[in-house]
Amino acid sequence: MYRYDEFDAAFVAGRTAQFADQVKRRLSGELTEDQFRPLRLMNGLYLQLHAYMLRVAVPYGTLSSRQMRKLAHIARVYDRGYGHFTTRQNIQYNWPKLKDIPIILDELASVEMHAIQTSGNCIRNVTTDQFAGAAADEIIDPRPVAEILRQWSSLHPEFSYLPRKFKIAITGAPQDRAAIRFHDIGLQAAVNGAGEIGWEVWVGGGLGRTPMIAKLINSFVPNEHLLAYLESIMRVYNRYGRRDNKYKARIKILVHEEGLETIKGQVEAEFAEVRGGVLTLPSEEVDRISAYFALPNFAAQTLTKIDVAYESIVDAAYGRWLDNNINAHAQPGYASVTVSLKPVGGAPGDATDTQMEVVADLAEKYSHDELRVTHEQNLVLPHVALADLRAVYDALVAVKLAEGNNNLITDMICCPGLDFCALANARSIPIAQEISKKFAEPARQKEIGELKIKISGCINACGHHHVGHIGILGVEKKGGELYQITLGGDATEHASVGKIIGPGFEAENVPGAIEKLVDFYIAQRTSEEETFIAAYRRLGEAPFKEALYGTA
Amino acid sequence: MSKEILTGNELTSGAAVYLSATGEWVEPLQSARLFSKEEVAERDAALAATKAGGRVISLEIEEVDEVNGQIVPKRLRERIRAAGPTAPLTLNGQAYDRQHLGEDGHVSI
Repeated sequence: MYRYDEFDAAFVAGRTAQFADQVKRRLSGELTEDQFRPLRLMNGLYLQLHAYMLRVAVPYGTLSSRQMRKLAHIARVYDRGYGHFTTRQNIQYNWPKLKDIPIILDELASVEMHAIQTSGNCIRNVTTDQFAGAAADEIIDPRPVAEILRQWSSLHPEFSYLPRKFKIAITGAPQDRAAIRFHDIGLQAAVNGAGEIGWEVWVGGGLGRTPMIAKLINSFVPNEHLLAYLESIMRVYNRYGRRDNKYKARIKILVHEEGLETIKGQVEAEFAEVRGGVLTLPSEEVDRISAYFALPNFAAQTLTKIDVAYESIVDAAYGRWLDNNINAHAQPGYASVTVSLKPVGGAPGDATDTQMEVVADLAEKYSHDELRVTHEQNLVLPHVALADLRAVYDALVAVKLAEGNNNLITDMICCPGLDFCALANARSIPIAQEISKKFAEPARQKEIGELKIKISGCINACGHHHVGHIGILGVEKKGGELYQITLGGDATEHASVGKIIGPGFEAENVPGAIEKLVDFYIAQRTSEEETFIAAYRRLGEAPFKEALYGTA
Repeated sequence: MSKEILTGNELTSGAAVYLSATGEWVEPLQSARLFSKEEVAERDAALAATKAGGRVISLEIEEVDEVNGQIVPKRLRERIRAAGPTAPLTLNGQAYDRQHLGEDGHVSI
């Protein structure tokens, strides 16, 4: 794991002290709310419906057990004993008091964490594949580059007042688990003809009120020139991105309106100017940072395969967990474990202080002290020996974190919605809870197979509904809530944006509507291997619409 | 005939508060002062004074109905603000509840 150097430590300490003084001056009345609001937002502090909300960055979703324990401590001492993990691989606290924020930030700084750039029109926390550095299908561990991007983008003076917020996602694997095509910039590891590893650069993706799939702007940028190339994109966006209308200010609109070739020409012209200059990545610096992410010293394992069928007979729940929550590891005898934060009937992404501490203990004992936060609002123990899986599972059972539902219908992404969020138009969490209860039966979930439901409480799409195989968007209608259903979204390398299938539903009718769609899929699929999204692509929208609404 | 109330969030705790009939900012929605359509000047004066004081933020005018003697905000958003999150229990087994004033001295009004 990366450790702060003196520059990191100094800027976080400086910023923490600066904000502590700003809070003090706000409380004394020296600063007005109009003066204070932009300052608090720069430090990740929002005001929601019921209270302040502090969003803490988890750089590229990677945590040590020490950091996770600190997050638990903050939840227990300064909040209400739980935190909410988000689609940005961050954690949000829903109930902090303004007076406590300086000490919370001090606590975070003590474990090399902060809340800087988790809000505002700047480059936000870089996100990545939750299995980075562990996945069997990986070309390269993207975290050293993610860390370089973090250093480059933190307090970057030129990019602190962009037209709008800016999100970068990076993956080192061909299977896209980081939704890179729905970010302002997406980076995917690529190999050129000479066998060198570089980066495909995708630009102009995003969700929100205008969902767009990113376009490939460069199929191979060498590692050493990546910063120069990204800075070139940022400069073009900073110069030409719209500032007259916040709804048209993201780079996706610029790319869409100007056309990829125009933007590409502008980026290439800028790149020609800066290439080979100060932004060239020295190989020794890349090596220095990469060393922080070196693979752990894996002990040789005698157990290199788990007989899931056997384990399922002995203990069905453990079998389900093995079946769904284990990801193949590059190292024989090891696996990455997804810790589901989607208990049946729970709020997706929430974890209590106790649960966080147990997961931290498991990371320390069984996963080389590493943890990950996924953009699908789960946690990951990336490096667990197969021989330790049962012990990990038993410990998770004890704190109700052993739901074996990863990638199944109850493993939903869900934004906080109108229960918490000042921007939301409709509630999300109760919808997720009701769907979860309806499909709680494990056999039913297994029958359905992989199905991604994603729920947003407004068009800003924090719940990624556009890329749900089934997406649910809550809207306000005549003072009440109505839920639109979209079908066919996909956040992976087969990226697609879901389409609204028909009139919306009242909240109480949403689970039933999902059931109709699911039943139709099961009746129509060619085999159990044909997933919901595959069946939808084969059959098209019309029969699903008819199944849901009946013949017109 | 709908009326209006003034609401905001208390500076230190962030808790939802309402301007009461006695001119204080209080936690219970049912203590909120009701402004009729004819009381726009009083409403706006109270808003301006509160804004100048700086201890209640994110100020809003909300339309409400009176139903069986109870103040009921027209917007669902405001009903949730008054009562707290509607989702069932937290993972700790506790109700989500709203933010309360007076806890740990985190109050500025």
